[in-house]
Amino acid sequence: MLFSEIYGSYFNVVASILKEALNNSLTDNKITQLVHEKAFAESVISIPTSLKNNDWLLFDDDFKPVIKHSPTMPLTTLQKRWLKSLLLDPRIMLFEPDFTGLEDVTPLYNTDTFVYFDQYTDGDPYTDENYIKCFKEILKAIKEKRKLKIYFNSRTGAEHSITCIPYRLEYSAKDDKFRLLATDNRHINVVNLVRIHSFELLDEYDTNSFKLPQKHLKELVMLLHNERNALERVLLHFSHFEKETLKIDENTYEIKLLYDKDDETELLIRVLSFGPVLKVKSPIEFVDLIKERINKQKSLQVIQKQKNH
Amino acid sequence: MAYSELIKNFERIRDYMREFYIYGFKSRNEYTAKSARSYDNERRRIESWLGDFMLFKQNSAGKNVFLSVDSRQIPHNPLYKAFKAKSFTNKDITLHFYILDILDNKDNLSLQEIVEAINDQYLSKFSTPFSIDESTIRKKLKEYESLGILYCEKKGREVFYKRTDYKHIDIKSWADALSFYSEDNPLGVIGSFLLDKLDSYSDVFRFKHHYMLHALDSDILCQLLIAISEQRSVELDLKGIRTGRKYKRNICPLKIYISTQSGRQYVLGYHYHSSHMLFFRLDAIKNITIGNTDNKYSLYIENQKKFDKHLWGVSAGIGRSLDHIEMTIHIEKGESFIFQRLNREKRHGRVEYIDEHTCKFTADVYDATEMLPWLRTFIGRIYDLKCSNKTVIETFYDDINKMIDMYGGENNAF
Repeated sequence: MLFSEIYGSYFNVVASILKEALNNSLTDNKITQLVHEKAFAESVISIPTSLKNNDWLLFDDDFKPVIKHSPTMPLTTLQKRWLKSLLLDPRIMLFEPDFTGLEDVTPLYNTDTFVYFDQYTDGDPYTDENYIKCFKEILKAIKEKRKLKIYFNSRTGAEHSITCIPYRLEYSAKDDKFRLLATDNRHINVVNLVRIHSFELLDEYDTNSFKLPQKHLKELVMLLHNERNALERVLLHFSHFEKETLKIDENTYEIKLLYDKDDETELLIRVLSFGPVLKVKSPIEFVDLIKERINKQKSLQVIQKQKNH
Repeated sequence: MAYSELIKNFERIRDYMREFYIYGFKSRNEYTAKSARSYDNERRRIESWLGDFMLFKQNSAGKNVFLSVDSRQIPHNPLYKAFKAKSFTNKDITLHFYILDILDNKDNLSLQEIVEAINDQYLSKFSTPFSIDESTIRKKLKEYESLGILYCEKKGREVFYKRTDYKHIDIKSWADALSFYSEDNPLGVIGSFLLDKLDSYSDVFRFKHHYMLHALDSDILCQLLIAISEQRSVELDLKGIRTGRKYKRNICPLKIYISTQSGRQYVLGYHYHSSHMLFFRLDAIKNITIGNTDNKYSLYIENQKKFDKHLWGVSAGIGRSLDHIEMTIHIEKGESFIFQRLNREKRHGRVEYIDEHTCKFTADVYDATEMLPWLRTFIGRIYDLKCSNKTVIETFYDDINKMIDMYGGENNAF
C-alpha cells in the first residue's frame, strides 16, 4: 500500500533526469548530482546504467528522452486522503494551505482516531489569533532570514524583550508546544512560543556571517540491569538521543548518550522513572543530583514513619 | 539472484532496521534468525540508504553495526528511506512514464489508443524492436486506477482513462505544513512522499522528544486507519515481541493509542473471541487482512469511551477492577511548578492542595502498576503513597531501597 515503487526514490530521480533532458540541460555530471541528491549511495551505478543500456526504455539510441512532457504524477487517493485529514488538525491554522481540489475527498482518519495518552495537557493554544499571528510572522522571519525583536513573559511573569536571529521552530509532541530557537550571536535563546505576545520584524541579517549555534552536549553513561523487560523499554525511551549500547554481560549493558545540559533536570526525572534498573555512572554531577533526590525521599519516608508511630 | 539495493519485501528489512536502531550492540554472529549472507545483504542495503547515520564498532565479539542519530538535530526521519526502496520491473518504470506522458494532454483515451500510442510513438523510437503486450498495459492501467492516479470511465463497451490531476491541488502551498507534518504525523511518510515532489522546501522545523522508529510500522498503521474509517474488522498476524510466538487475532479496530514518551503505538480493538477491548502493539503486527464492515462499530466506540476513562496507559489489569491510588507530595517554598506539573501530567484523577506545602493526587485506574514510572519521577518529593493494589506500594518502596543501596548503600546492585 505505502510500499510502492511509485513513491520510490528511483522513480523520483528518473523523473528529475527526464525533466533536465527535456530542458536540454542534461549532462553526466547532472545525472550523478541528481542521483546523489535523491537516491541512495549505490544508485549512482545502477540508475545511469539502466538508463543508458535501455533496460528502461526512456531514452532513445541518441540518449534523447522519448517522452514529450515534463514528467509529473497526480496525487494518489491515499495522499489526498492524508492531506484532507490534516485539515482537521487545529494546527493547520498555522500554515493555511490551499485546500482547493480536496473538497470531495474523504479524510483518511479523524483527529480523535489517535489517542496520545501521555501527552501533557497544557499544550499551545493553536486557535488563538495572536498565537497564530506570532507563529506565522516568526516562520516568515526564519524563511526570509530576518532579525526579530520579540516581547515575551518569562516563567515568573516578568516582561522581557530581545533582538535576535530566529533560526528554528522546535516542536515537542510530549509537551505539545512550539519553541523558538534564536540567537543574539552570543547565546542560544529558547522561548516558548506561547510566551511571546508581540514582535517586530526587522531587516535581513548577513547570512554569510551567521553560523548556526551549536548546543553544548554532555555524555551520560548508565548501566542497565535487564529485568522486567528493561532493555527494550529503556532503549526505546532514549532512542531519540545519539547513543551507543554495549553489552557487558548476559544481563548488563552500558548505555552512553549525548544530552543538552539545559535539559538535565528533565533527563534526571526520566532516568529516575526507570528505578533501579538504571544506574548512572557519569557525569558525577548527574550522579549527585540522583543521590540528592533519593536522600530527600529517604528523609520524607522517615518523617512519615515517625508520624505514623 | 544478484544483489540490489532495492527490496521486494519490507518485512525482513523492518526487523533489521529495528535491531540496528534500537539495540545496536549485536555483532553479525548474534543475528541468527536468517543466514549470514542475508545479514550481509540487509546490512549493505541499510548502509546504502542510511550511510550518514550508520556507525561501526569492533570489539571482541566482532563488528557491531548500529544506527545512531540525535533526532532533534535533523529535519527528516531517515527511516522513511526504506519505503522509497521498493523494487520494480523494467516494464513497470517504462510504462509509468509512458502512460502518464500519453495522458498528459488531458484527453480521455481508450485502452486501445494507449496501446497504439505506446507502440507507435514511444517504442518505435528504438532501433532494436521492443514490445509490451496489451494485458500488461491493461494491468498497469487498472493498478493506477486503484491508486487514484488515473480515472476510468466506461462508454459503451470501451473503457477510457484520464489522469486525476484535472482537479489541480497546489502542493506548493502545503510546503511548510508538509515539512511539519511529515515528521509530527504518525503517517508522516506520506508527507515525505509529497515533499519529494517539491523542488525545494524550508528547513525551519526541528523536533524534540522525536521518536522515529514508528516509521517502520507505517504500512500497518495505514491499513488500520483504512479499516477504522470504513468500520471494518481485521485479522492480525502477530509475532510476540519477547516470545517470538506467532498467532492471529480478529478484532474490530477502534483507536490508535500513541505514547509521546516512548514512541510506541498500539491499536485498541474489540476482540471478537474474548468480547473484550484489547491492545496490540503495531510493531508486533506482521500482516493485516481487512474484513467486512461491522454494524456494531458505534456500540464499540461508546464502550471505548467508557473504557478510556480509567486507562493510565494501555493496560486494563487483571479482572478490569479499579485500583485506587493516592500520592501526597511535599512542595517546598517557590516550587509551585510541582502542582502545575502534576496537573498537566496526570491523565486521570485530581490534584488538590492539602496545605501550603502539601498536595495530593488521587485517581482510580485499571492498572496502577503502569503508573510506577511516573510516580518515580517524583522521587524526593513523595511524602506518602497509598494504593489498593499492594504490589504498587511494595515495588515502589523496594525500588527506592535498591536505589539507596546502589548510590551509596552497602550492597551495590551492579
